[in-house]
Amino acid sequence: MRRCDPPAHPLTKRPNVNALLETIDERPATDRRRPPSRRRRSSIGHPRLTPYLFLLPTILLFLAFKLYPYLSAFWVSLTQNVGGVTAFVGLDNYIRLAQDPLFYTALGNTVLILVVQVPLMLALGIVLSVAFNSMLLKWRAFWRTTYFVPIVMGLVAYGILFRALFDSGDGIVNEMLGVIGIGPIPWLVDPFWAKISIVLAMTWHYTGQNAIIYLAQLQSIPGELYEAAQVDGANGWQRFWNITMPGLKPALLLTVILSTIGTLQLFDEPYVLTNGGPDNATLTIGMYLYQNGFRYFDFGYASAIGYALTLIIAVISLIQFRLFKEKTR
Amino acid sequence: MRFTLNKRSRGVAVTAAAIASVAALVGCSASSADNGATDGDVSGKITIWTWDAPGDGLKAAIPAFQELYPDVEIDVQDVGNPAIWEKITTGMAAGGSGLPDVLNIGIDYMGNYVEKFPGELVDLRDFGADKLADEFPSGAWKSGSGADGAVYGIPYEVNATGFFYRTDIFEQAGVDIDSIETWDQLLEAGVTIKEKTGVNLYNQDKAATAADSAGLWQLLTALQGSFYFDEKGEITMNDEAGVHALELIKKANDLGIVGDEQGSWDTLLASLRGETDVAIMPSGGWMAGVMENEAPDMAGNWGVRLPPAVEAGGITAAVNGGTYLSIPTESKNQRTAWEFVNFALGTLEGQKVVYDGGGMFPGYKPMLESEGFAEPSEYFNGQSPNAIFIAELAQDTPVVNFTSDYARALKALTDAQTRVLLSGADPQDALDEAAEQVAQQTNRKLASD
Repeated sequence: MRRCDPPAHPLTKRPNVNALLETIDERPATDRRRPPSRRRRSSIGHPRLTPYLFLLPTILLFLAFKLYPYLSAFWVSLTQNVGGVTAFVGLDNYIRLAQDPLFYTALGNTVLILVVQVPLMLALGIVLSVAFNSMLLKWRAFWRTTYFVPIVMGLVAYGILFRALFDSGDGIVNEMLGVIGIGPIPWLVDPFWAKISIVLAMTWHYTGQNAIIYLAQLQSIPGELYEAAQVDGANGWQRFWNITMPGLKPALLLTVILSTIGTLQLFDEPYVLTNGGPDNATLTIGMYLYQNGFRYFDFGYASAIGYALTLIIAVISLIQFRLFKEKTR
Repeated sequence: MRFTLNKRSRGVAVTAAAIASVAALVGCSASSADNGATDGDVSGKITIWTWDAPGDGLKAAIPAFQELYPDVEIDVQDVGNPAIWEKITTGMAAGGSGLPDVLNIGIDYMGNYVEKFPGELVDLRDFGADKLADEFPSGAWKSGSGADGAVYGIPYEVNATGFFYRTDIFEQAGVDIDSIETWDQLLEAGVTIKEKTGVNLYNQDKAATAADSAGLWQLLTALQGSFYFDEKGEITMNDEAGVHALELIKKANDLGIVGDEQGSWDTLLASLRGETDVAIMPSGGWMAGVMENEAPDMAGNWGVRLPPAVEAGGITAAVNGGTYLSIPTESKNQRTAWEFVNFALGTLEGQKVVYDGGGMFPGYKPMLESEGFAEPSEYFNGQSPNAIFIAELAQDTPVVNFTSDYARALKALTDAQTRVLLSGADPQDALDEAAEQVAQQTNRKLASD
């Protein structure tokens, strides 16, 4: 059969790619519209104020709640609180960070969880979305809702639920494993199993969200492609691999990047489940930042961790963009 | 906060901690701006941030205070512990905006707030608070004061260590609790108890994932006259006393007489009520009141005594936390706030209603000496917990220097203990590593260097 070539279906695919990419494009809309406005402006000969007046609320909000915190946090990251007096210390916080063994522990834990959890969750999300999209599945709306419910579940309820599930003494998970002769597993109290618990909890929490994104993308793949493939004699696996997967590519890019950023910032799960322990086995960069800021009141160092994390996220996201672009070519 | 966290809100620790982040966001909703009274008058409205049991005590003082000052309205807000620490932090980081008129602050947070946010708390000498100094135990008073003598908080709770034990279990095992003088003897008794009754000597959160579980180490170290830091602020957690304390904890664990249990209010209550049996429960003195309230059916089964010494003939007393009442400088109604604090903590009349309402162990000497305070308790088989605590506070215990880096040291110690208990690390190595980590993070010197 012929390969499904994305540009062959500009109407169905292109707008979607752009729509999805726009959501991760941080540039304000004004940047992107500049060329036409400049053209118009030059033809009239004086700058037009009206559009800026309309944009003023947005610009002001952006300055107050985005730009100012960014800059202020950067300034704070260059300071230290010595005896109650905030002193400018240059790059001291960053130098300390580079020599801090706990920071590397946190970085290692975060990357480990990222490498294990994100592929697992996304693969599961694809399987689920294909199932949700299948004509063979009954009560599809019910299943879709069921898997989406964890997203709206509050952090507190989620924490209490998983603590009860994973309790190493009389937790429900261990009781069930006990029935089939496994365990008991020290879920939240063993350095290894604590990481596994975090991965499982995150997968439970976020898989549905990704499945919904994939589902939206799946519904934009024209049915004729599958019909044509079927006529050509492609089996289910071939159809999945040659039509579904290429069709999902824009959504894949989106979810990979969003999940990577989300996991690098991981905080909720270790906070409610393990408190970063035992012995820092589930300490993530987000947790370490929080501890330094809110437990130790070391805001300068916490801000430095924040900026280091931003840098790491920027680099990894760039690499991911590049990889996906090369594959598309 | 680690000490008073034990007290009331461990059971809701997860909830409270999660709410903390929300509380931090809405931290600017308190009402200190809308009270019209100026510094001179005692009138208008004041708001107090505290948590459940201490809050009950302060609420109880309101009617009596209003008899003196009918124009005053007092709003005691149960912010929750540990949520309150982050809420105060947020307010102080914002230059005091949103803070109420009176803050209930834990001893372990006091130094940190004073050092990291200078000028945010009123020097209560402005209101003549220094006159009260002699009415309180000097150690407790000092921890609420700055190095220059400025008074930032009046002691509300002053806790000695309560060494509680199950009389029925000791009897069943045929062990005489009164004959035990040292922790080594206690561990031997623990083995006998385990053999005869199957009951663990005590339970501990070995992984420390639910809460910090450094209470026992702090007690054992305090019984040897040491702490995380010495008076100069240098790190001493890996000194001989600290290592010996951790060795004792390891020994108990290796003997198989320590149960593993997540630290929470619920598990604590289960132990108090005898639903999960433990032979001993070293804790803050406040536990006596909690036992009577939460486990009335266990009357007669709990006893209390001074903690055994670590070295034969050594110290048998340790201060176990405490809290203060402070006034933020941003308060618009400082005079009224002070009058209330002074009434609740600095007068016998106020102390009595506060104690009846909340049961927090007071530091105010006239209260301790007052009639009926050290009465024998039926619940404790005619023993008097208060008399024991008073005797402990009278012993010459070293001033505990929490410094502004207590939270870091506590975390490092908890991690070290987890390594020892779960992965069999050597106590000396684990503590050396912890001490170096604290030194690296804080630029404090190791006392051993």
